[in-house]
Amino acid sequence: MNKLLTATALSAMLASGAAFAQDKTAVTFLHKYPEPESMEFFQAAVAAYEESHPDIDIQMEAVADEPYKDKIRVLMASDQVPDIFFSWSGEFGRKFARDGRTYDLTDALKGSEWEGRFSEAALDPLRFEGKQFGVPNNVNAKYMVYNKEIFEENGLKEPETFAEFVDLLDTLNENGVTPIAYGNQAPWAATHYIGDLFAKYVPSDVRTADYQLLSDPENLYTHPGYVTALEQYQKLGEYFNRGVNALPHAAARGSFFAGRTAMMYVELVEFYMVPGSALEEAGWGFFALPPVEGAEGDQNLLTGAPEGFLISADTDVADEALDFLNFITSPEQAKEYVKTTGMTSAVIGSVTDETASEEVVAGLERLEEADGMALWLDTDMDTQSANIILAAGQALLSGNAEPEKVMADVREAALQVQETR
Amino acid sequence: MSRRPTATFRQSLTGWLWVAPTLLFLVLFVYGPALANIRYSLFSFSAMSQSKTFVGLANYSQLFGDPLFITALTNNIAYAVISVIFQVAFALTLAAVLEAKIFPSFAANSFRTMLFLPSILPVVVVGLIWQLLLAPTMGLIDQALWEMGLGEWSRAWLGDPDTAIFTVIMVSQWQWTGYIMALFMVAIRAIPRDLYEAMELEGASGARIFFNLTVPGARETILIVTIITILGSLKVFDIVWVMTAGGPNHSSEVLGTLMYRAAFRDDTIGYSSSIATVIFFIALTIGVVQIKLQKDH
Repeated sequence: MNKLLTATALSAMLASGAAFAQDKTAVTFLHKYPEPESMEFFQAAVAAYEESHPDIDIQMEAVADEPYKDKIRVLMASDQVPDIFFSWSGEFGRKFARDGRTYDLTDALKGSEWEGRFSEAALDPLRFEGKQFGVPNNVNAKYMVYNKEIFEENGLKEPETFAEFVDLLDTLNENGVTPIAYGNQAPWAATHYIGDLFAKYVPSDVRTADYQLLSDPENLYTHPGYVTALEQYQKLGEYFNRGVNALPHAAARGSFFAGRTAMMYVELVEFYMVPGSALEEAGWGFFALPPVEGAEGDQNLLTGAPEGFLISADTDVADEALDFLNFITSPEQAKEYVKTTGMTSAVIGSVTDETASEEVVAGLERLEEADGMALWLDTDMDTQSANIILAAGQALLSGNAEPEKVMADVREAALQVQETR
Repeated sequence: MSRRPTATFRQSLTGWLWVAPTLLFLVLFVYGPALANIRYSLFSFSAMSQSKTFVGLANYSQLFGDPLFITALTNNIAYAVISVIFQVAFALTLAAVLEAKIFPSFAANSFRTMLFLPSILPVVVVGLIWQLLLAPTMGLIDQALWEMGLGEWSRAWLGDPDTAIFTVIMVSQWQWTGYIMALFMVAIRAIPRDLYEAMELEGASGARIFFNLTVPGARETILIVTIITILGSLKVFDIVWVMTAGGPNHSSEVLGTLMYRAAFRDDTIGYSSSIATVIFFIALTIGVVQIKLQKDH
């Protein structure tokens, strides 16, 4: 009897608790920034927002980069999409938009509050068929970062052309210095090199039409620049550390930050990790992969991309979700974001000397000088074709693949996907 | 004639009631999903798509024509063969040696504990530790080889398509051989001691005692462990995913990683379901063989 009473009391309490929670409007929010620095910002932002909006309950969850790719797919398949969710730009986000899973933000972002908040370069990769499907959160680009001490010891300076870059690599090799630290165990690392080279060797209009499978079937992925780019990537193999395919990116980065190699291809959002390392003591600089003379692509594109937040098409709380996104991308919050996380916010004017290190500011300035962005290849191509490139990124270096064959396979996969669209 | 069944029905009703909850659980969470999976494998759809397209057996014809499927199946078979050699033959030998009172009991206990320890570590931790140990240039193993003057043996074990899967398999053996050995020690202790003493009095050699007494005595355990090992090798996923994710260039892909990749990387859920169905039927066949073998004894 006592047990029964306790159970009844308990269930009554639970029921009233549930009723109490229902007075608030819940907005579910899933992102991929579980790192302590990032969580510090997001938790503070959520708390500040909830304080000024007592009727809103933001239910936030964060999972890491790789698992996020699985989780969002599972949620999509089981129709449990969070109201606000993270996405990379390019094809990763476009496929949600293509299947009608995203809320159209075009008109909302025309509102006066949002006016001039983001650059075109940050907005465009989050568009599909002219409709804005995402709010950019940060922008990111990839640079060749170098150790100034090693460069001075070997009498080197930043290269102006790709040919100079290769000479510089040869010099380092001859002097017994490992030129480039590279960890390609998870082969997304390779797609950054390959994507950058594709952009340099293939005209932009041809390339983007191929990536989005809008080219004529007979021309799809037939431009010879792709094969040349893969050959160039294969040649770079002589300049990487040993065992590239067995080394995680973070391990390679550790060895570069410890001053063991001359250079590494590093993301802007990784710049904040340099302070306190041997690299910091040696001094460091960066340059974009230099232009290839005579190649047909756009030589002034930077590899990188914005990433951002999407609102689910199934949401019942679109206005609340939008309002929250408006809040976390407001100039004040964006400055806070840069200061706390070391990331480069997509909000114009948020990365300044006050909020970021001089290298991050310089990195963002260099990005503004670029003609545009070559998005991360594995998030810009369709998944099936990208997977062939991902595998080839390892196989080309271990001598288990030939550039012509790789592109033939990409073409075959792309044709199959094109038929289904 | 017509009354007896009712009596047995009444008797069996109680039995049915006892097993009903478990049965219901199995139908809801095991048989139901397995059947749903077979149905899914006849469609083409992604996690994003709102509708499914019926494609019949197209997923299966694509799978059987896919060279990656052959790679994965071969790797699973290699996994099973090597695991049986290590975790059955080698572990049984270890168990027999440790139980044969060759070593003083303190040493035997230390060895047993040391061999058993890896199996209590989480697979992900084991994978990451070995990844660091095996890392080229900065890893302990590579450095040890250079120090010992065996520099020419040094290689990127996980980064080389020829060695990646075998490296992962060996790490798996390192983790599980001690666990299986402990099971065998229990089995050997169940064999009456006086049989051993009798054989020793007759002056039988250690090898003869092993093959004529230990092996037949532990036959049941050997059979079960072999089946568990083969099934485990067929379903393996975690250690491969952590250490190589099926790379480099798909050389260490197994059926589990292939299935995962199809669902969560390529967005082809239907195709992934067809791989799951194939794994299911292979496992079912092995299970049936096991039941038959046990009946024969």
